[in-house]
Amino acid sequence: MWLIAGNTLREAARQRFFQFLLLLAFTLTFGARWLRDFNFGAPELKFLADCGFGAMAFLGAALTIAATAQLFFSEVDNRTALTLLAKPVWRAEFVLGKLLGVAALAAVFCALLTGLLSLVLAWREAELVRLLPDAVAPGGGVSHAMVALGGLMQWLRLLVLAAFTLLVATFAQSQLFSVVTGFLVLVVCHLQHLAQDAYVRAGSAAGLVASALISSVFPDFQVFQIADSLAAADLPATGDVLRVTLYALGYSAAAAGLAVVSFRRREI
Amino acid sequence: MGAPGPDGAAGTPPAIEIRGLVKDFAVGLRGLRLRAVDHVSFAVRPGEIFGLLGPNGSGKSTTIKLLLGLLEPTAGGCAIFGVPSGKVEARRDVGYLPEAPNFYRFLSGRELVVFYGRMCGLAGAALRQRVEEVITLVGLAGSADRRVETYSKGMLQRIGLAQALVHDPRLLILDEPTAGVDPVGSAEMAELILALKARGKTVLITSHLLGQIEDLCDRVAILDRGRLVAEGNVSELAGAPGRLSFETDALPSEEIAALRAWLESRGRRLESVAPARRRLEDVFRAHVGRGARSTEEKR
Amino acid sequence: MIYRLKKWLGLLASRRLITVAIVIAGLAATGVILSAIIAPARDSIRARQPALRLDAAGAGQGAALAILGGFRALVADFAWIRMYTIWERRDLPGTEMLLRLVTTIDPRPVYFWLNSARITAYDFPFWRVLAAGGFETVPEDVQRRLSHEQARSALRGLETAMRFHPGSVELWVERANIELNRLGDLNAAAESYRRAWELPGAPHYVARLRAEVLRRAGRRAEALEWLTRLHPTLPPADEGAAADVVLGRIRDLERELGVPKERSYRPPGARE
Ligand SMILES: Nc1ncnc2c1ncn2[C@@H]1O[C@H](COP(=O)(O)OP(=O)(O)OP(=O)(O)O)[C@@H](O)[C@H]1O
Ligand SMILES: [Mg+2]
Repeated sequence: MWLIAGNTLREAARQRFFQFLLLLAFTLTFGARWLRDFNFGAPELKFLADCGFGAMAFLGAALTIAATAQLFFSEVDNRTALTLLAKPVWRAEFVLGKLLGVAALAAVFCALLTGLLSLVLAWREAELVRLLPDAVAPGGGVSHAMVALGGLMQWLRLLVLAAFTLLVATFAQSQLFSVVTGFLVLVVCHLQHLAQDAYVRAGSAAGLVASALISSVFPDFQVFQIADSLAAADLPATGDVLRVTLYALGYSAAAAGLAVVSFRRREI
Repeated sequence: MGAPGPDGAAGTPPAIEIRGLVKDFAVGLRGLRLRAVDHVSFAVRPGEIFGLLGPNGSGKSTTIKLLLGLLEPTAGGCAIFGVPSGKVEARRDVGYLPEAPNFYRFLSGRELVVFYGRMCGLAGAALRQRVEEVITLVGLAGSADRRVETYSKGMLQRIGLAQALVHDPRLLILDEPTAGVDPVGSAEMAELILALKARGKTVLITSHLLGQIEDLCDRVAILDRGRLVAEGNVSELAGAPGRLSFETDALPSEEIAALRAWLESRGRRLESVAPARRRLEDVFRAHVGRGARSTEEKR
Repeated sequence: MIYRLKKWLGLLASRRLITVAIVIAGLAATGVILSAIIAPARDSIRARQPALRLDAAGAGQGAALAILGGFRALVADFAWIRMYTIWERRDLPGTEMLLRLVTTIDPRPVYFWLNSARITAYDFPFWRVLAAGGFETVPEDVQRRLSHEQARSALRGLETAMRFHPGSVELWVERANIELNRLGDLNAAAESYRRAWELPGAPHYVARLRAEVLRRAGRRAEALEWLTRLHPTLPPADEGAAADVVLGRIRDLERELGVPKERSYRPPGARE
């Protein structure tokens, strides 16, 4: 399983994934310089963080969905899965290996960008303090713990997304279908809270059942937004962070387990 | 090499046992079904080279995939060394070269073999030694550090064979190992297979190139449209019992006439006289063999 | 034969269906368990995510906004940046529309509300006068009317903001500033400064400003009383509290009001 994960990661690495990351990092830093022209003062730091996390959320989701589908179907379509599964390898090892590989990829992505964001924020904060000593109120500075937490939340979100995309891929006949469905899952997960509101408000029995089903089948991605501030004062309680982490891991594990079930029934 | 000795002892399970195997594929949207394998049964004894023959689409590859647990049979079952396919343990002692193999293009040949070796539980110095061995064995020592995506078709078959051999399995399943391989390569592959047999390995090989199979196999089974139509020893199936052919130096026509008369005086008939021909394959090998090897090695 | 075919067909179809059913059931069960785990955290998460102001946007816009989901902050930021480029062109309707959009998408940063109010109260009247022909041609009463209109609009915006941020000192201070500078309503400004000062975390200058505004409004006695009650609470070591400045003001006011020496304010701890 670890071997398959490692191999998956290696495939991603050799597909010039890291050049892509570098490019992204560059864009982010340049974006930061461009924002400087507007000179917002302290809120600029929040802008930077929003942009950084926004880019991470968006590109990370695209990357995760595409990578999961691509890395899965490259095995199936190129018939390399044939050779691999003819070795004494469990189907479960294959599926979990793929998931771990993508999870590691997402972790590298999040860690790198979060680290970079932290650096940019620190640098800009120092500059702002030098230019306008009053701009950053005491206690209002950048909380790097918060930034790190934001990065962790991004990763958890991507992990769940990868597990769901993989689950879809084990069913799907084509990569395109998996990618499209993956994005659909992403949208549904983001709209989850609306389904929950609908659940509360649903008048008809059918509506009640439908919204109850949707709101339990799909995870609610809003819970990962517990780190959308830069102030240390806004740090969420440790219990909440743990609960959210458990929530993400639970959904990922369930989706991965079901992906194994579905993949065992698949004909290679 | 640490190869297990041949275990020809009676009472050991057959290397491969296939019983009443049926496989249906759903084709088309309206639930149309296609029977790719139709009640096939045969067994392969340990230590023999078994040929699975048949025209395109006769179900050879499908049978193999069923055997390896890559597909689920519609009915019937199969076992490898007594372990039912579908169990992971069944694949522990099997090397498989798929037809038209394709490998991780982003790895080098050596990395690829190392990867599969690890998947089979090899590690450390044993793994490294074994990898070098099989790479040399299949004749890729010169290009093992190139990316697989730069390999030619024949090289892909070779690296596929290396991958199948890396954990020194007792059973080898080769699906059209010589497709796309030049005659020199095919002959080398045939030699290799015979060498493996000499070390007690069992080999299941498919092909529709009967010439190659004929020289190689102890026994064959012939599939047609999913059905087993013949099975037996090569000499039994292809031999013409009670008949003989022979080859001599060239003879002038009067000597041929004398020979014919001599035979007729004994109640026999000389049925065919033709100039001896070497097989084109042998000609090719005589001319190309050395050169091809040496450039391969120079690289 | 046909029967067998049908049997196989049925089997295969049900196999796939069974897998789908297993997956949905599995995920649903997971969801039920996990929602119990996340439930205690959900309230605090919700509290961080005020409902989108769908009422403020049109219905169609509302749906689009909902889809933004996690990208609200980012979209709001970019709308804000876009607002600045339009602001530079002094395009009043465009700027106004984007200001409303930004605060609709993401009402969380106080910064958006504050700057919206400032732009509405200070920049818009200036632009309108310029558009009407400039400060020389537009009569002064018209100028004043425009200025008051815009100030009131800004105050309405601040009132909405206070519903989202009831504890924000900055919003009350801004309100007071606009009442003071744009409406010239000293009494209203004094009241707003008082409200700001009552909130936790209010800076000391807010209290001094209230006294100053009261004084200018002619309510000197009230100003004096305010300061004498303020002064004992000021930490002497804190520069921002400026206790000596406050004491100076108290003396000024006492002089202006003619308070006799013996009834004048005595700072605590001062020996006489
Ligand atoms: N996944 C599949 N889905 C549907 N039909 C399939 C599938 N795999 C194989 N078949 C069909 O099953 C039949 C047998 O195929 P198989 O690949 O076993 O033939 P083969 O004997 O290996 O042929 P070849 O000599 O060309 O390799 C063919 O008619 C093929 O079209
Ligand atoms: Mg085939």
